[in-house]
Amino acid sequence: MTSLSLQTIHEVQTTLYQEALHLDAQRWDEWLGLFTQDAVFWLPAWTDEHRLSTSPERELSLIYCAARAGLEDRVWRVRSGLSVASKPLPRTSHAVTNCVVTPDPDDSERVMVDSSWTCHVYELKQRTQHVFFGTYQHHLECRQGLWRITHKKVILMNDQIPTMLDFYCI
Amino acid sequence: MSWDHLIDDRPADGVFRVHRDAFRDPAVFAQEMVQFFERGWVFVGHASQIPHPHDYITVRVGRSPVIISRDDQGNIHALHNSCRHKGAVVCPHSQGNRRAHLCPYHGWSYASDGRNLLIKDKTEGDYAPSFDTESHDLQPVARFAQYRGFLFASLSADVPPLEEHLGDVRTLIDLAVDQAPDGLELVPGVVHYRFQANWKLQLENTVDAYHFASTHPSYLRLLERRANMPERADAPKTIWQSQNKPKEMMGSFGFAQGHAMVWTTTPVENHPLFDQREQLQQRVGALRTQWMMRTRQLNVFPNLQIASSAAIQMRVIHPVSVDRTEITSYCLAPVGEDAHKRRQRLRQYEDFFNPSGLATPDDTVIFEDCQRGMTSGAIEWQQGHARGMQRRIMGPDEHATALGIQPLTSVSGTFEMSDETVFHAMYRHWAKAMA
Repeated sequence: MTSLSLQTIHEVQTTLYQEALHLDAQRWDEWLGLFTQDAVFWLPAWTDEHRLSTSPERELSLIYCAARAGLEDRVWRVRSGLSVASKPLPRTSHAVTNCVVTPDPDDSERVMVDSSWTCHVYELKQRTQHVFFGTYQHHLECRQGLWRITHKKVILMNDQIPTMLDFYCI
Repeated sequence: MSWDHLIDDRPADGVFRVHRDAFRDPAVFAQEMVQFFERGWVFVGHASQIPHPHDYITVRVGRSPVIISRDDQGNIHALHNSCRHKGAVVCPHSQGNRRAHLCPYHGWSYASDGRNLLIKDKTEGDYAPSFDTESHDLQPVARFAQYRGFLFASLSADVPPLEEHLGDVRTLIDLAVDQAPDGLELVPGVVHYRFQANWKLQLENTVDAYHFASTHPSYLRLLERRANMPERADAPKTIWQSQNKPKEMMGSFGFAQGHAMVWTTTPVENHPLFDQREQLQQRVGALRTQWMMRTRQLNVFPNLQIASSAAIQMRVIHPVSVDRTEITSYCLAPVGEDAHKRRQRLRQYEDFFNPSGLATPDDTVIFEDCQRGMTSGAIEWQQGHARGMQRRIMGPDEHATALGIQPLTSVSGTFEMSDETVFHAMYRHWAKAMA
């Protein structure tokens, strides 16, 4: 098995932590910058108590963006001032943990990371709070010395959504 | 307690008003639950959720847990999900396939048609003969019926036949079902959400054309933005995106039993049915083909909504309390749809109908804003049921007549007219039941 250097593991984990910090600080451009142009972002729906949608082509997703442009749409919407659901934006706090980095056996410039996440959401209109939680699966590749996300799958364990959910809550 | 005074209905004066207590008084809510959810027909599921023998789903009817189960003969039963012995829920899962349901408490078991199969250690139990004078089967829900795969139940036997309850809404359900030669199925994947607002805000919103442009400008502008990015291959074109925009028309029907529908004529060239319109015309005729390509938002009172626009949504409303509502939302699609069309349908559905999409969050957040605003006791009457008053016809208009349906009210006009008399039949039914 190809092994990863501690430095690579450190860099990749830092990229994930950086992503979470960008979201909580509403640094949307920096957040988008961590994704490649052709990055897929997928939040599958549950089809049963313990079975997720397996195919975004045939089954329902909560969010499916086939390219980074889909995430840019969402950032545009949040910034447009035209969405009542995005005004005021909630304060959020992400925590990412249990990162396990797996090398790609064929490509030393690619890795997969499994991790666990929580996101505390503090909603400012009614001063209420809730927590979303689940796991992430990131695929990253190293481009010009920087790790970039090519695929992100978010699994949301508590999928009874209080009022709304957007990219910054997960 | 009588609540019909909360509807101020004076046609001669051109007045139709709904009192805010209908949305905020817990006593009103308690009576609504009894009246509409425990004494009337309630939507419980779609037959495609349980296609095989012994498939089941569990649902709530009013406040009662219920199993919708298909037996080995293929017949569907609605059964109270409560063991006859001590009351425990016998089936804790949301869906599955079980030949028999075993109560985890004392081990009584029931067949998929509800028959009692076993009372554990019955012979050793020294029961008196009188014990067997009553049935030990899972109790069937008082009434259960289906219309073209849409399943309904009533906890009370004192209801009209389902055909009568649905009335002309059957024709509108047909418009959804018949657009595919082999009918509709649920796409795998269920979406659950909730909001802190009264359930009737959801019923109103779905047939409210007036809110569309002012609540969803971020969605509509986003579509324009995408249209100006020809390199974008990731997002499908939607029906609201068009090169040639004819003047949009809308109309509405209100029905007895509280059902309602609003329709609009959106451009058809991005409609999923556009490519098949010739085959469709041969199969269902020109008039129905035209109707199938209009947007149609249908309320089947009290808890089912079928929204047919870019995709077909089946939304089920579960009122929890006067200011809390849970929604379960499903995507309906033609059986055997090709991969490209299915993908296009899913993306449009997710963008528009998901609480994690680009439009529905603006509705659910607004519902909560309304509920919060309405707590102000100083204001009594809504002013939201008055548009279209001068245009509405009591009875069918020419659109209804052409379809062969007999609504109690009809209106049509420009999209901007955005009629609100569509709510009247629902609140008239409401007032009669709540009197």
